[in-house]
Amino acid sequence: MTEAPTLINEATPPSIAPKRLKSLQRVGVLCGFAAGAWLGAAEAPTKLVSIGVSPLVISFMMVLGVFLARWSVPALLQGMSQVREDVRQAPHLMLWGILAGCLWAVANTLTIFAIRNIGLSIAFPLWNSNSLLGIFWGFVLFNELRNAGRLRWLGVLGGAALMFVGGVLLAAASSVQAQGHAMLGIAGALGAGVLWGTMYIPYRKAYLTGMSPLSFVTFFAVGELGMISALAIVYTGGIHSLWQQLVLSQGVLFWLVLGGVMWVIGDIFQQYAAKYIGISRGIPLSNTNQLWGLLWGILVFAELRGASRTVHFEVIGGSVLMALGAGAVAVSSATEKEHSRWKDAAQRETQRYNLDQDYVLARMAGEGGARQKRTWLDWLLAGVSTAVIVAFALTAEIPKSEPHWGAMAALLAAMLVLLAISGIALWRATKFS
Amino acid sequence: MNKEHASQDRWLLGTVLGDIHFWIPLAVLLGGLVLLKWISR
Repeated sequence: MTEAPTLINEATPPSIAPKRLKSLQRVGVLCGFAAGAWLGAAEAPTKLVSIGVSPLVISFMMVLGVFLARWSVPALLQGMSQVREDVRQAPHLMLWGILAGCLWAVANTLTIFAIRNIGLSIAFPLWNSNSLLGIFWGFVLFNELRNAGRLRWLGVLGGAALMFVGGVLLAAASSVQAQGHAMLGIAGALGAGVLWGTMYIPYRKAYLTGMSPLSFVTFFAVGELGMISALAIVYTGGIHSLWQQLVLSQGVLFWLVLGGVMWVIGDIFQQYAAKYIGISRGIPLSNTNQLWGLLWGILVFAELRGASRTVHFEVIGGSVLMALGAGAVAVSSATEKEHSRWKDAAQRETQRYNLDQDYVLARMAGEGGARQKRTWLDWLLAGVSTAVIVAFALTAEIPKSEPHWGAMAALLAAMLVLLAISGIALWRATKFS
Repeated sequence: MNKEHASQDRWLLGTVLGDIHFWIPLAVLLGGLVLLKWISR
């Protein structure tokens, strides 16, 4: 049986068929929601063990877990031969990926200082304003929301604004006492938001030129680990001092690595959302991570036990607003007219970087994924990563905190259902292209 | 002109550096490092 054609043959350049476009956008929206669930849950392992551990050690170990997963998951899902093929087609994206990873690492470190100075409650919504910057860059640089019509503008901007207000309420409910200089903390949180919001420029650059998110994240990880290693060495006082802190925290390192691995699953979905619905929709949807983070806090770690009625009102109100905002963004997917403007931006990239137009258009249409066979290198990467994670697990201490196991099982089940639904939909529609 | 330039630049480094979009995240990254230095005093 032959596959239905997905490109309409018109005068150059061809368009993606409307039915195919809708199917890709449905998958993108699903990926955005799955990203929120997994990114939100990634904080859970660190909550078990973070007391008494240096923030930079936490960040460094999470990034180590991220690095291991960012190389082994793509090796298993599409094979490193596919990464090589993508690099052959668009070698410039290696540099863009490394730059994006550096931005992520600096932003993540800024959030640590922000939380220390103003507490999570104020810092979280400040840096989650990154979605508004993502919408701005998407519009200015990549033609997103052009020719979109008032209703879709209202859906995306109004939805992002609702999510921001919901985020403020949720953060107020999960308050942590501020201990430092408010001015420095606010600057850190806003700075992190600007860095993360700008990090979506490389994302969109890569996906307009057709690169598979699974290939892009491998270079992203190099920038991420390189930058966080440099920052950890500088801010802990040298390699020797960093090593000593790692040895002292030996029993909890596994939980931090596990958090990093869970974060990667969410981030891969976030990357696919950015590819198929753009950064102006994908980023607000994946920012529902705050809602999931709070669910873990309340249900598993009983963080609101004995809290006042005001706090419960903030949680319910914030959750409803965030869900409504996410819903508005989700139903405001790009029209054919808007998508033709995305294609103009893709054509600009094709010409600038002398890319193969057929490759770019096919990849934009979600074609050409996972055609390579796995090689010994793929199995070696997956094996080494697994061995490192198992080694950390063998030295892990059982956390002293007592989470609510039933709620944890329910949340994990919900996340696995989202993972399965989104993963299968992504595979069927794009073969992870 | 871009196309001719890109075809002579195997790893496209020169083309990336000539892309104004590249300088926006790079400038933000440098600004972030300065900010980090300041708030970590």
